[in-house]
Order: sequence, then structure tokens, then C-alpha cells
Amino acid sequence: MRWIWIDKFVEFESGKRAVSVKNVTLAEEHLHDHFPGFPMMPECLCIEAMAQTAGILVGQVRNFEEKVILAKISKCVFHRYVRPGDTLRLEAEIESITDEAASTRGKITCGDNLVAEISLMFSHIDRNLAGREFPEENFVFTDTFQSLLQGVTRRPDSPPLPSCDSKTRGQGQAISESK
Amino acid sequence: MLEKLRLTATIAATMRFILIDKVIELEPGKRIKAIKNVSLAEEYLADHFPTFPVLPGVLLLEGLIESASWLVRIGENFAHSMVLLEQARNVKYKSFLAPGGQIEYTVEAKTIEENVSSFSGSGLSSGQTIVEARFGLRHFNLADQDPKMAAVDAEVIESLKKRWELLKK
Amino acid sequence: MAMSRDEIFGQVQEVLVDALGVDDDEVSSDATLMGDLGAESIDFLDIVFRLEKAFGIKIPREELFPAESLMGNSEFVENGRLTEKGLTELRNSMPHTDLSSFEKDPDINKLGDLFTVNSVVNFVEMKLNAA
Repeated sequence: MRWIWIDKFVEFESGKRAVSVKNVTLAEEHLHDHFPGFPMMPECLCIEAMAQTAGILVGQVRNFEEKVILAKISKCVFHRYVRPGDTLRLEAEIESITDEAASTRGKITCGDNLVAEISLMFSHIDRNLAGREFPEENFVFTDTFQSLLQGVTRRPDSPPLPSCDSKTRGQGQAISESK
Repeated sequence: MLEKLRLTATIAATMRFILIDKVIELEPGKRIKAIKNVSLAEEYLADHFPTFPVLPGVLLLEGLIESASWLVRIGENFAHSMVLLEQARNVKYKSFLAPGGQIEYTVEAKTIEENVSSFSGSGLSSGQTIVEARFGLRHFNLADQDPKMAAVDAEVIESLKKRWELLKK
Repeated sequence: MAMSRDEIFGQVQEVLVDALGVDDDEVSSDATLMGDLGAESIDFLDIVFRLEKAFGIKIPREELFPAESLMGNSEFVENGRLTEKGLTELRNSMPHTDLSSFEKDPDINKLGDLFTVNSVVNFVEMKLNAA
């Protein structure tokens, strides 16, 4: 099982909000365990999809220089279950952000239906776990996540997305937008 | 013994989304303890994170959810096929859990009613708290909404009963 | 914004209930955030964010919970206790907190006990009056 729970971003307003999409398909192995006879997307993976959407939104504020990880699920509520064939729309907004942490709120919808509401807190671990050794490179925002931002649609009034600095990203991949 | 082996053989090929390995204590209606081993063999660790593999936070929560679900299912004698997370709050990730480690989940029931239940739970590894959470589940049958789904409910319940044979002590 | 102390307390209580997942009646005036209510690092950040939103004020975290930076400084801490310098620094950075009993035995392990619900209410009151 790969650990990527969103398929692409469809909207991205740097520092404010982002919208991503996740398709749920019978091709995903784990669905067959949850549950055998009636596959559905586990709620915890819906939370992870939101965490990845919100985490990228938060990480992008500092150009993915910080390692941003999920520190707390403040609150989540589920209204409906999710089935293969469903397309989820995940909308996340930054509520607060400082050097050390960020809080986000968001909702997951499927068509017109509200699936879940999820509020999260992220920690910028280099600043919070002093004394704990982490590998230097940013293992959180790998190229796989970078590529999710390619082709994202911006809202007409939002500022251009900064491209990733090649010095901080090694290979350096610009975030391009489609029109 | 042979029956258990046969069950393992049928299930092993498809079972991957189970986030506890063994239930070590069960006080009906009250408390459950379960353990999970973490191994580099778990594929998602390669992505989470490269060079720093740790069990993803949501899977720690899933361990707590699964533990609580068994407390519900055993208590109600598998009356419902669907036992799902309804809400969770203050789920705190306090420490990392790396491959080679083992986590022990302890979940205490606050209330268990026919269709809803609430719990507080924590996971410890080598004396350190890894995760803490408060959460609530909802339990129902698909047939409640659509009587034609009764056969599906039965199928889900059957496979979960088999899963319980593997997990229980 | 002229809020009464009771109104401030009510809002602070709500913030702590949301951030820490505790019940209303656990959030008494002298409950300690760390000891009684189980708050930790990430919770302090959550509390600061929510207080800012609830009261429309800006709160640099070190202003509300300065102890963490103090603890790392060797001038302020010796053998697990705060030095005179440390105590002065603490007094200056936490005017919203009653330090009298802590000063009698400035054991850094007891620093956590200083953060009571009352000190948060004091802090907010001071901030609102200064605004």
C-alpha cells in the first residue's frame, strides 16, 4: 500500500486554502479487508487524506523547508461512509500558523453530500523536538507530493504559486499551473 | 490447530488492513488491550517516511478504533456488521513508533449502547505514550436502511467472526 | 472590549474544553493545565491559537507559557531548581501568575503547576485592558 491518499490538487491558494480530490477504487487492496463483502474507505484514511491536503498547504507556506507532521487531530466527525466509485473532494483551510505549528480545518464532500469535518494541528518538528535527531533532508515533502501540485488550478484572484527553490529541494521542481 | 492454520491460509492472501495483531485482555463492556508489532515489512513505511520510517498517526488511531470495535462486537455478539468511527477528538501523537517496536493499546469504554459507543484510549510502547484519543463509534446493519442488504451484513459478520478467531487470545 | 472577569472565564473555559477534551466541571479556577487537565506542548499551541481567535488578541506563545525557554537556560536553572536570576526572569515574564508558593521551592519539575486556569484568565484580562 502506497502512502498517498490524495490524487491531485484542484485549487490552491497559498497560505489560505486548498482543495484536493481522491478517487476511491476497488483496485485499492485494503478495501477488501474493510470490510470483506462490503468495501468502504476506512475513516482513518479519510483523515489521512485531509492531513495530506492540509499538510501540503501548511508546508508550502514555508516553501517545504520545514518538516510538517500531524501532531493532533483536534476533532473529526463522520456523517457518511465512502464506497468504491466515490470521488472525494477535500477542502482544507489554514486557521492559524506560526513558526512552530499550524491549525487547519476542513471538510470532505462526495458530490453534494458532506462526508466529514476534520480539524487538525501540525507541528514543525525541527523546531519542536530539539534534541531528537532527524535526517536532514525533508523526508516529509518528497517529490511524490510535489508532483501532486502540478497542474493545479488557481483561483483567478490568488497570487502566483512560488516555485520551489532549487537549493532547498535538491532537484528543484517548479510548481506549474494549468490554465 | 489445523482449523486455525486453514483460516490463516485463506485469510492471509487478502488480509492487510488490520492494525492490531493480538487481543491480550478483554473485560466485556469495559476494557480491551491489544498489541501491534511494527515491521519494516509493512509497505507504507517506505513512504512514511523515507529514511525515517514510523507508523502513521492515523494507523495508530485505527489500532484504537479496531480495539474498541472488538469490545463492541463481542459485547453485542456480532449483532451489527458495521462498526465505524463516528467522531474523534484530542487525538494526540506524543512519540514516534518505529519498526521493531510493539505498541500496546488500552481502550476503556465510557458508554456502550445499542447503536453508539464512546471510548478513551492510549497506546504505549516501552513505557512511552505514543498516542491518546477520545472517540465514539456507531454500529448498525446495512439492512437497517435497505432490507435487501441483509445477506451482505451476514457475509461481513461471518468474515469478522473468522478474524476474531485469529486475534483473540 | 469591556468584558467582565466572569465572561472572560467562561470563554477561557470553553477554549480549554475544546483544546483539551476535558469536561466543563474539570476546568476550575485553580486547575493546573498540565497536571489536572493533561495539557502538553502541542496543546499549549492549540490553546494560544484558540484564545487569539476567541478574544481577538495576539499572543506570542512565550508570553503565556514562557517556562519552556527558561528551562533551557543554564543561568536560570541549577540542579533542577531556578536560580535567583531565573526567578527574576520568571517574575518578569509571568506577571499574570502568582509565584509565591513556587518561590519557596523553585523546583523546575513544579513549573508546570504554575499554569492554572486562573493565570490564563489573568493573562487575557491584562491583554484586553492593555488593548
